[in-house]
Amino acid sequence: MRNATEFHGVSKEYGRGEARVRVLDGVDLALPAGAWTAVMGPSGSGKSTLLHCAAGLEPVTSGRVLLDGEVITGVPEGVLTGLRRRRVGFVFQDFNLIGSLTAEQNVALAAKLAGARVPRAAVRAALGEVGLGDRLRHRPRELSGGQRQRVALARAMVTRPAVLFADEPTGALDSASARTVLDLLRGLVDGGQSVVMVTHDPGAAARADAVVFLRDGRVADRLVRPAAAQVAARLVELEEVAC
Amino acid sequence: MLRLAVSTVRDRWALFVGAFLTVACGVALVQSSLQVLMATGEPKVPPGVTGARAEEIREGYVGAATLLGMTVLLAGFLAVFIVASTFAFTVAQRRADLALLRTLGAGRGHLLLLLLGEGVLLGLAGSAAGVLLGVPAAWTQTRLLTGLDMLPGSFAAPWSFRLVGVSFAVGAGVAVLGVAGASVRAMRVRPMEALRGTGGAERVMTAGRWCAGLGLGGCAVALAASARPGDLLGALLIALGVSVLGAVAVSRLSPLLVPLAGRALGLAMRAATLGDLAQANLRDGVRRSASTAAPLIALVALAVGLAGMLGSQARATGTDLVRLTAGDLVVASTGADAARIAAVPGVADASTRLTVDMAVRVEQRGPAGTRRATYHAGIVAVDGPAYRRTHRVAPRSGSLDLLRGRTIAVGAGLAAEGVRVRRPATAVIGGRTVRLRVVAAMPERLENGAERFLVPLSLVPAGLAARAPAETVVRVAPGARAADVAARLRPLGTVRTVRGWADARVAAQARGNNAIMAVLLGLSGGYAALAVVNAMLIAGAERRAEFAVARLTGLARRQVVAAALAEAAAVTAIGLLLGGAVAAVALAPLATVPGTLAVPWTLIGLLAAGAFAVTAATSVASTLAATREPPIRAAAAR
Ligand SMILES: Nc1ncnc2c1ncn2[C@@H]1O[C@H](COP(=O)(O)OP(=O)(O)OP(=O)(O)O)[C@@H](O)[C@H]1O
Ligand SMILES: [Mg+2]
Repeated sequence: MRNATEFHGVSKEYGRGEARVRVLDGVDLALPAGAWTAVMGPSGSGKSTLLHCAAGLEPVTSGRVLLDGEVITGVPEGVLTGLRRRRVGFVFQDFNLIGSLTAEQNVALAAKLAGARVPRAAVRAALGEVGLGDRLRHRPRELSGGQRQRVALARAMVTRPAVLFADEPTGALDSASARTVLDLLRGLVDGGQSVVMVTHDPGAAARADAVVFLRDGRVADRLVRPAAAQVAARLVELEEVAC
Repeated sequence: MLRLAVSTVRDRWALFVGAFLTVACGVALVQSSLQVLMATGEPKVPPGVTGARAEEIREGYVGAATLLGMTVLLAGFLAVFIVASTFAFTVAQRRADLALLRTLGAGRGHLLLLLLGEGVLLGLAGSAAGVLLGVPAAWTQTRLLTGLDMLPGSFAAPWSFRLVGVSFAVGAGVAVLGVAGASVRAMRVRPMEALRGTGGAERVMTAGRWCAGLGLGGCAVALAASARPGDLLGALLIALGVSVLGAVAVSRLSPLLVPLAGRALGLAMRAATLGDLAQANLRDGVRRSASTAAPLIALVALAVGLAGMLGSQARATGTDLVRLTAGDLVVASTGADAARIAAVPGVADASTRLTVDMAVRVEQRGPAGTRRATYHAGIVAVDGPAYRRTHRVAPRSGSLDLLRGRTIAVGAGLAAEGVRVRRPATAVIGGRTVRLRVVAAMPERLENGAERFLVPLSLVPAGLAARAPAETVVRVAPGARAADVAARLRPLGTVRTVRGWADARVAAQARGNNAIMAVLLGLSGGYAALAVVNAMLIAGAERRAEFAVARLTGLARRQVVAAALAEAAAVTAIGLLLGGAVAAVALAPLATVPGTLAVPWTLIGLLAAGAFAVTAATSVASTLAATREPPIRAAAAR
């Protein structure tokens, strides 16, 4: 079976000279397809950077990255654009939606960019599934944070990307909204979707199939189907060592 | 992408209002100018008018065509400029959205298409409005041109449906040209910017700005430095060049210069309670303050520089006329009355110039070989020796003493036109055709409408001479008081001092120029106001959150408005000062020529008052609009 994401000796540095920081330091990682992987670690440990490199948004300094079985390091921008269009989906904490488009149009636009002839009914069905069937014509600023998050999920449901990347998708949500979003993600994964999610919330990580821990740009640990308490304990250990 | 373009324009219409108005006005002006221009192609001279009048009408048509052509160019250029700055602004403010599109897989081409789509939409909407506006505009323009006597009262510009096509092409072209720069910048937005939330962190001083600013600025400085003291023609050319180059250079460098000038101004602003806030905003909102100041800089530099140049040229011409005229008074009268001036007590010498209605045909060497040309205007009859005594100017060749019988002299007005002096001229005078020998050629003069030919008085039939308008230069006899002599001359005609006569003559010659200048100034002023208002409105709409935070910090709404007003006033002052500095550099070489420099103080006053009025009104209105919501709602909204 193909891996959703593979890292082979990946390093990432920002800045040059004195100001140089090594954010990812020789990461080797393989995240299986069709599974939900959570990425955790102290603040500044390189989680977001890992996600961006995996999605081809940020070039790596050295090493190789594969997405859905294809090498995405050192390929031209045009290839990456096509990749983002068809293979990659995003859910972020903020900056999810185009402000001037309605919820429905936001979902439809992504599908159109992916080149799929998605019928209107499918777009509406997806929004209905995330519980926003009555908010089709609302613009992002007329939606709550959790609702915006769910529109982004509906977008992923319609475009069916090979890998869905989520950076703290529940970070700004209350526990009820967070649970809705996590339930939706679980539903997607059970339908065969690969998901890579960065989170600070052990409860959220416990819903995933596996948890990868980062510290100082290196993979520090990996747990499979952990309980929330187990995740929390490991996280505390890592943060203590970091200090 | 087109759908997205439509919804962006609909959603953020406030950002596009200025650009829409600009395109509409631009298209209306271009369309109406073209409509009138097409009708001026072939001058329609009414049958039965005199040769001189026909020539005047033809010259009027040429003047009108020049003015219209300049209007078309200027309107097109300014429209592109404003649309470009609007879109540069919107791209800067929509970086987060554009970056998000990139993360969703939109390619560079998509973003290009999006912005071009927005541009085309704007162009089409603006053109539609412009086509309608163009109809009354053409009517107004015709009225204006006939009012200025550039076109005869019977002039009419017929409407043609071909104009609609041209207008839409112009509108779309202007919009697309204006959007081009912004689209290229939008294409460079990287998807990462959406995630790190660094939208808007784009540098304002782009490489293009540096290049254009320093390059043109360097040219302007080099040009100004090349001035030689006392060289009038050089100084006039420098004034023209430095105004244009400097205006563009300084407005390109405005993101650099405006905050610098703001710091200098800061000392004065510290005094007020909110001065600190206003000054900090000025420094912080570089893009905003630079976009507001740039049109002002360009307008002031160009308007004051060019008006100063034209005014100085007129003043120098007057000074030159005075210097060339050896007399005390000038009397304007009919030919018959002029003949009686010499007999008035206290008049030592009198030299009369009759403006005669006659035609002269000569051979001229031009770039395309020899051609024959006929002139009706600018032909004067003089008494050679008397003319020589009252005018301190020697012929370039020949002698005015020979101006007797069937002879003619080439005047200063045609000195540079290559008239062949060895070939006889043919004149039609009082219905009679005579061949005239060319006996003298006068040197070139500063004056714009100097006479083209001089003929001897004896050539003019008595009846014609008596009716012809005359100007007589009078030298007062030693011992007689000029005022007394003037009083005695008054029954014969209008008496003026030489200076007064010279100024009036120059003013009459400059009338056409001034009309053109006024129209172009009005046009540029209108566009500059539009650009300034546009920049301020766009900035104001986006400053909601900032104002809200200021109010949550404890400022009253009134104080927020006051701080924004102080900032606007400071930016206006900076724009005026920087523009003024360019004009000062441009006009400086003229100060080295005595009796020349004419600073257009009235214009400066009007520009300053207008600029402050426009920016103050816009600032107050937009700040009030942006603070209408309760602050807590606005602060949360992104
Ligand atoms: N563009 C950049 N230039 C320089 N340094 C950067 C840049 N982006 C990120 N960094 C640095 O890289 C390190 C890792 O950043 P990253 O965003 O990946 O952390 P994170 O694990 O997601 O943290 P958090 O949990 O706080 O979101 C940080 O120390 C950050 O300062
Ligand atoms: Mg992060």
